[in-house]
Amino acid sequence: MTAVLVASGITKKFAGIAALIDAGLSVEEGERVGLIGPNGAGKTTLFNCILGVTPIDGGTVTFDGRDVTSDRVDQRARAGIGRTFQRIELFADSTVLDHLLIAERVRNGSGRFWKDLLGLGRPTAAERERADEVLTLLGLEELAAEPVERLSLGQCRLLEVGRALMTQPKLLLLDEPSSGLDRVETAALAATLREVQQQQGFAILLVEHDVDLVRSFTTRSYVLDFGHIVSEGPTAEVLASDVVRSAYLGDMEVPT
Amino acid sequence: MIIGASVLEDVARAFLQGLPPGTVYALVALGFVLTYKTSGVFNLAFGAQAYVSAVMFFKTRVEWEWPVLPALVLSVFVMAPLIGVVLELLVFRHLRNSSAISKLVVTIGLAVALPSLAEIFMGFETQSGRTPEGVLDQGASVFYDPFGIYAFSRNELVAMGVAVVAMVGLGALFRFSALGLQMRAVVESARMTELAGIAADRVSASAWALSSLFAGVAGVLIAPRFNTLSAADFFHLGVVAIAAAVVGGLTSLPKAMGAGIGLGVLIAEINTFLPRFAESRAWLRPIQDNLTPAIPFLVLFGVMVFVPAIRRSRDASDPLGGVDPPPMSIGSVVRTRQQVLVRAAVTAVLTVVVLGVVLGRADQSWMYLVTQAVVLATIFLSITLITGIAGQISLCQGAFAATGAFTVYQLVERYDLSALPAAFIGAGIAAALGALLSMPVRRLGGIWTAIATLAFAYFFDSVVLNLPFVGGGETSLLTGTSVPRPLVGPFDLADDQAFLVFCVLVLAVVSVVVVNLRSGTLGRTLLALQGSELGSQSIGISPARSRMLAFAVSAAIAGFGGGLLAMQQEDVNYASNFSPFVALVWMVIVVSIGCRSVGGALQAAGAFVLFEPVILKGALFGWLFRDPERIPDFFPISGKWVLVLFGLGTIMYARHPEGMAEYGAHRKAAKAERRRRAAEDRATAVAVDVEVAR
Repeated sequence: MTAVLVASGITKKFAGIAALIDAGLSVEEGERVGLIGPNGAGKTTLFNCILGVTPIDGGTVTFDGRDVTSDRVDQRARAGIGRTFQRIELFADSTVLDHLLIAERVRNGSGRFWKDLLGLGRPTAAERERADEVLTLLGLEELAAEPVERLSLGQCRLLEVGRALMTQPKLLLLDEPSSGLDRVETAALAATLREVQQQQGFAILLVEHDVDLVRSFTTRSYVLDFGHIVSEGPTAEVLASDVVRSAYLGDMEVPT
Repeated sequence: MIIGASVLEDVARAFLQGLPPGTVYALVALGFVLTYKTSGVFNLAFGAQAYVSAVMFFKTRVEWEWPVLPALVLSVFVMAPLIGVVLELLVFRHLRNSSAISKLVVTIGLAVALPSLAEIFMGFETQSGRTPEGVLDQGASVFYDPFGIYAFSRNELVAMGVAVVAMVGLGALFRFSALGLQMRAVVESARMTELAGIAADRVSASAWALSSLFAGVAGVLIAPRFNTLSAADFFHLGVVAIAAAVVGGLTSLPKAMGAGIGLGVLIAEINTFLPRFAESRAWLRPIQDNLTPAIPFLVLFGVMVFVPAIRRSRDASDPLGGVDPPPMSIGSVVRTRQQVLVRAAVTAVLTVVVLGVVLGRADQSWMYLVTQAVVLATIFLSITLITGIAGQISLCQGAFAATGAFTVYQLVERYDLSALPAAFIGAGIAAALGALLSMPVRRLGGIWTAIATLAFAYFFDSVVLNLPFVGGGETSLLTGTSVPRPLVGPFDLADDQAFLVFCVLVLAVVSVVVVNLRSGTLGRTLLALQGSELGSQSIGISPARSRMLAFAVSAAIAGFGGGLLAMQQEDVNYASNFSPFVALVWMVIVVSIGCRSVGGALQAAGAFVLFEPVILKGALFGWLFRDPERIPDFFPISGKWVLVLFGLGTIMYARHPEGMAEYGAHRKAAKAERRRRAAEDRATAVAVDVEVAR
């Protein structure tokens, strides 16, 4: 097993206040890793640093054996980092199918300006086929022609996963996928995700508040508190450790 | 030592000299900041509001010979706040949840509509010799010289005094009064403020009344600076003052004030000292001529590119915005393949019929107008691309078109090139210019793209145009900027009919290109970016690259269209064809009729050129009655109604961004769908009845 993502020594300051101090984590190929921590711990900041959304003040991000620290967000995406968003970032006024088709076009890189001019830029049969595969995989085939405005939140999250899958990521970053979903919806999403992940073998890094989801979904977890990685290990052990109880869960009842 | 003292004196004199114009910039900049703080709208109509009060004041003082006080009360203290309240009530109250871009477009529409509306109702025409008066008697002719080196006129002193008082007073309002706090709260979240027991509607009405009152004050104080009252000058002044407002991040009154005055002083100092340096250095001379008008735009660009805080002030949305129903989906109407074919066939037949009638029956002047509409439709398609597909508000399409036109003029004049290849070269230069401009602009996004392109349009207007290798310099003043029509193979386009057919063919090709781009990789990428920039990046789309391509292609289309327009009129006619204000009107008309579809651009061009002669001058009635004598008496109606109607049409854009044309189609489709369902239900009911009867 080799590490697909290694972030080390990540430091980020906002107006002099350190949000992340020497934080590091790594994700192996095909692994499901959790990143947990109390509100304000720096989870989202670390996420954004890995993705290149926020520039970092120190540290390196290596993806798939290559240093991507100075790459732009879209370059990292093309390198194989897919993601979903806590606050839905779908394309307004587009149908479900449109989302997947454009993602596929960007992935296969066959878009050329002269092709557009000659009217050859429309989606091809092969692209539609791939989109249909992903739609079937996620159970969204009924909704293909629906504009995203008509989807429920759960369906939106699924579509974000689908859009990310179209890029054939080596690593999928999930940003609080359970927020806004109820228990049943969360469980359904987790089941679908696990199935797809086992089929395709990409790695997952999950930022999540829902302890149950982290417990059932990930094999290994990092705990972030005040910008430091305070604990790391197999998820069950991490969740049971005293460090986590005091830092993250406080007095919350943790059934073991 | 003596030299030192005289230099110091010159510095001081230039400083004092820069104060009055600086005060004018400061007044307008304060107005921008005030409206932005109290209503969350970057109000490009501020200059228009100021103009309306200035016109009213001129009307009452000079034409009706009222005393100062009643004139002031009516034009500033009654009319201005009233306009503000009406705008809030009818327009901005309903746009609270609209995007910052939509609101900006509405203010541009108002900037076009308000002056015309005021001129129509007050019976005012912009004419030279109508010199505005100040609020004090003999304001322009009595001077005071406090330091013995520079004399201020009464008008200037009043303006400076009012500016200082306004800054302090408004600052105090925001800092100490409950109303000031409430205004800022309503901008943040109207819903949340309402939950705190404050009537948000009333607060925002008073905010608009206040900022509009200030516009009135500024208008009356600024007017004496101009020899002639004109809406375009007021708008230009507003664009210059944006630089000062932007220095204050659109939110700081003292910074806006300081930057405004600083701008005036800077220009005065440069005007004093640059000629001395340039005297002995020949290479400085061309810079000297063009630096002064360029300074505000250099400042504006500098701030936008180098001050990162600006970029962060993206439009924040109301955290409780979700309480209100989401805006309607604005996707185009979904049409079946059959419907698309039918529409294409109908369009083709109509085109052939109209073209046949025009070629066969129209006289020279109608032929001219129809040709102009066809050429403008080509230019308008560049707006369809950049605004409808890429979602960027570009206000410098006129500058791109002018680039194409001047390239044709220069290449024909200097190198005796045929106009057609020259037009292609012009399109290429415009494309390069568009790509270049997109670089500083692309990271800004939102309203900043609009402001930067507007600044570029005025930069082109006041600096680039004067360069000899663009506008032709002194030669063009003597001989004009004539452009001959080319020969294309065996066809001489000097013939009006041949030229019209040629333009229709160009329009057809450009339409197909735009449709292809929209459904191709570029168009779908741009639509994705418009939907969510973050989401697009997450699948590997590079916003910078896509936007640059969009800007370049759009500029190329505009540039080629500009070349065609110059050929059609056999002259560049910059002032009437391509000036920044004209380009604003283009954008306003395309956006209100529909910037998302090719049909919208064509209809907009038709409206822009033909609405006045056909509808307002009553030609339509003449045709209907088959007798020009029987046109009813109330024709001709003022051509300004075109500006009023389409300016106000942008309000529709904010609510239905797909534009009037597409919105109509939406409603028709929805109605047809309802009817179909009702018919189905009836059929089912009948079937059930039959079943039951059995």
